[in-house]
Amino acid sequence: MAESSLKQSFDTFRAAEDIDASALLAGAVGVVFLLTALTSFVLRLGLEVPAIVGFVVVLGYGWYAHQGLTAKAVTFLMTVSTVLILGMITVFLVLESLHAFRLMGVNMLVGMDEPVTVFGVTVLPGLGNFWQPSSATYSLVPAMWGTFVTTLIATAVAAPLGVACALFLAEIAPNWAREIVKPGIEILAGIPSIVYGFIGFTVLNTYVFQNFQTPSQGSFFLVGGVIGVMALPTVVSVAEDSLDTVPDSMKDGALALGSTDWQTMTSITLPAAFSGVSAAVLLGVGRAIGETMAATVILGNTVGLPQPLYDVFGNNVTLTTLIASQYGDAGETQLSALFAAGVVLFVTVLFLSLTSLRIEAKLKQELSGD
Amino acid sequence: MSDAYDRNLVESESSTYQRLAASIVGVGILAFAFALAALFDLTAIDATFVGLSLSNLLGVGTTLVGLGVVGLGAVSYVGYVETTPDRSAGLVPAVLFGLLWFCVAGLVVSQTFGFGALVWLPAALLVGAGAAGVAIFPREDIGSTLPAGAFALLVGLVFLTNVIGPDWAWSPTDFSATFTPKIVVPFLTVLAVLVASWAAGKAYDDFGARGRQTGAYMLIALNALGILSVLVILVAFVVSKGIGPLFEGFSVGASGIDWPFVQNGNQLTNDVNGVFPAIVGTFWLVVGSVIMAVPLAVGAAVFLTEYAEEGRFTQVVELATNGLWSTPSIVFGLFGYAFLVPRLGNSTSLLSGIFVLGFMLIPLVLITSREAINAVPDEYRDASAALGVSQWQTIKSVVVPAAMPGVITGVILGVGRIAGETAPILLVMSGSPFPSKRQAPNVLDISFSFTSSFPFVDASLISQEALLNSASALPYQLYAIITAGVGQSEAFGWGTTLVLLLVVLSFYAVGIASRAYFRNKLRS
Repeated sequence: MAESSLKQSFDTFRAAEDIDASALLAGAVGVVFLLTALTSFVLRLGLEVPAIVGFVVVLGYGWYAHQGLTAKAVTFLMTVSTVLILGMITVFLVLESLHAFRLMGVNMLVGMDEPVTVFGVTVLPGLGNFWQPSSATYSLVPAMWGTFVTTLIATAVAAPLGVACALFLAEIAPNWAREIVKPGIEILAGIPSIVYGFIGFTVLNTYVFQNFQTPSQGSFFLVGGVIGVMALPTVVSVAEDSLDTVPDSMKDGALALGSTDWQTMTSITLPAAFSGVSAAVLLGVGRAIGETMAATVILGNTVGLPQPLYDVFGNNVTLTTLIASQYGDAGETQLSALFAAGVVLFVTVLFLSLTSLRIEAKLKQELSGD
Repeated sequence: MSDAYDRNLVESESSTYQRLAASIVGVGILAFAFALAALFDLTAIDATFVGLSLSNLLGVGTTLVGLGVVGLGAVSYVGYVETTPDRSAGLVPAVLFGLLWFCVAGLVVSQTFGFGALVWLPAALLVGAGAAGVAIFPREDIGSTLPAGAFALLVGLVFLTNVIGPDWAWSPTDFSATFTPKIVVPFLTVLAVLVASWAAGKAYDDFGARGRQTGAYMLIALNALGILSVLVILVAFVVSKGIGPLFEGFSVGASGIDWPFVQNGNQLTNDVNGVFPAIVGTFWLVVGSVIMAVPLAVGAAVFLTEYAEEGRFTQVVELATNGLWSTPSIVFGLFGYAFLVPRLGNSTSLLSGIFVLGFMLIPLVLITSREAINAVPDEYRDASAALGVSQWQTIKSVVVPAAMPGVITGVILGVGRIAGETAPILLVMSGSPFPSKRQAPNVLDISFSFTSSFPFVDASLISQEALLNSASALPYQLYAIITAGVGQSEAFGWGTTLVLLLVVLSFYAVGIASRAYFRNKLRS
């Protein structure tokens, strides 16, 4: 029953797309070639070259005989490939990290060096160490804490300043000022992170070292500030977009009642676009979490927790810098633990980005009327 | 705000009150400038001006500002000038003032007098609540000026009496840092000036709705200016540091241009070491990832806008695109390290770098191309369809050409982004940290010859060896300099930074300019 209905829908599809037998055959052969090439590349079978040559031949025939149909099929395959890449990233990250997760279990995510006791009862036995390849002890707790602290500082910088700047661009600035500030923000987004890193390493680190008399060069405080500046353009442009989606008619209503522009902003525009603005902040947070190079070269990257925990001048490690500073001389297990750090990073950022995507979509739907 | 609503109907002459408020802001700006100068090492904190140490001078400035702001509030409150204050300054200023004074009281009681949490916490809460109360209960002219002015006054007096002077230092027990006057004095000055100027700005436009707008606009415009100056300072700093090394040994002679920093590699025999291999590496990276990613991304954008119907599939693709867009670059690097490197010759290689950066480029191009294709008016498609042209022909000869400017802009901006990426190529492509000129990847290998064995021709266009060997790139070169400990090669590092910045920012500048050009053209 199910089979026949499947066949039926396929027949309608064929009829609608005007696919004759030769096109169907060519399509099938092409897909088989492509799948072979892909499988062979993933499993290292060594059949990629002939399979790709075969695909190109089929493609040539399709282009000659059924150009429109081929174009549609090819663009479809291209679309699928974007999903495929994300899928492969997920699969390979998880696969590579499995070894470490199996070895450490839940301690990978919560393991402490000292036993944790609550009212004299040990709730979590200590590992003796956070990160020691020689005894195969790996815990991501210090790195996660470092990422948390730096991201918190970065958000404290990027969120208020970014939203204020977005407000300036979307609502306040006269045209001449917008023409200057807007490209400026975009160019700021373009400055490579390693450039921030180099300036941080050569100039800012020394500055903080001298004027805050920190025990060593590099601190979460500085990294958070630098990452905050780097996340700023993301917050500005996304927040500005969502402020722009608030329809003029809503603002006109407030203005017609005699409110000032600022009153309109605080009581109409900002509340209406609030979810979009928070999505912008979320995206900025995602950027800050994933920032690697500037943090790697500024921080000292010793794996451990700052003492006390809230010492923002601690000079430890974050998830990204853990990977970048250790991948080079890592053994198999350690590498797997670094992949585990990558998984935590990937999942967190993906979650933030998809949440903000959903918020934005909802906002657009709400403001477009109905 | 849309420009149609310019409502400055009543242009009044500025009154003495307004001039007073403006001059308070002026004094504030002066103090602000001196504070920044101290922060940026332009002047020492114990330098003397007109017989006063800088911290005392800043103290005079903030005291004046504080007194002035309190005065503005008082003058308005007693009705000496006609203003339009609201009944209360409002909740947001109250909360902020409360927090500010909570911190002030908490720090003074716990750090200056050394009391424990049992004393400082209630004291700070009391003072904070008091400040919030002052902001809420009295009329707006007192509520918004008194807590602000008093803060500036306090800061000023603390500087004037040398309680915080050039010899002061504070090492909180829980932080591994010491706060020196060089940081604290400018920081407190800037904070006090900002808070007080906000109050003065409100007073300038007679409080009330218009006053609030002036105060808020002042801070917001200042913020935008600050962000812009971060950019300008950053670029200017890199240029000033890097221009020397970049043009070292530069000469234009009969034999053409001699530019060692750009034409040389790293070699002991060189007078001037250069970044030629890194430039070549970055060039091939960009070319390769554009060739790989752009057709794919544009094709996908065409499918999504022209063929696909909104539904489950497009949603999934959208999720995937956004996921790829936000995935941290180091994760792309890890993926390449686990997936591509073992499959492409089992060593770091230019090809792996091209693939990884291509993957990063796909979402950037896809999103902008989709927008560009969506922006093509439906009339174009309808007109083409009415002539009996097939859908694919329409896409090929009408839709895509019309969307081309937007697509190209997206590509340029995307390339600017990936050209500066370091983390992924660090994992999948990097080789020798200081490559010599011979190690520059020589990708183009055009040769053609007849041979005696099948297939009787030996032609090659691209050198497989170059693609499968590690290569350097500008961002990686910079990273290598940092890991080598800078030291001797700091000038080399600044030169590299400048080259990298020039490459990336010129992509951005061209992209932004072309977008502005095409937008204007579309509008006219």
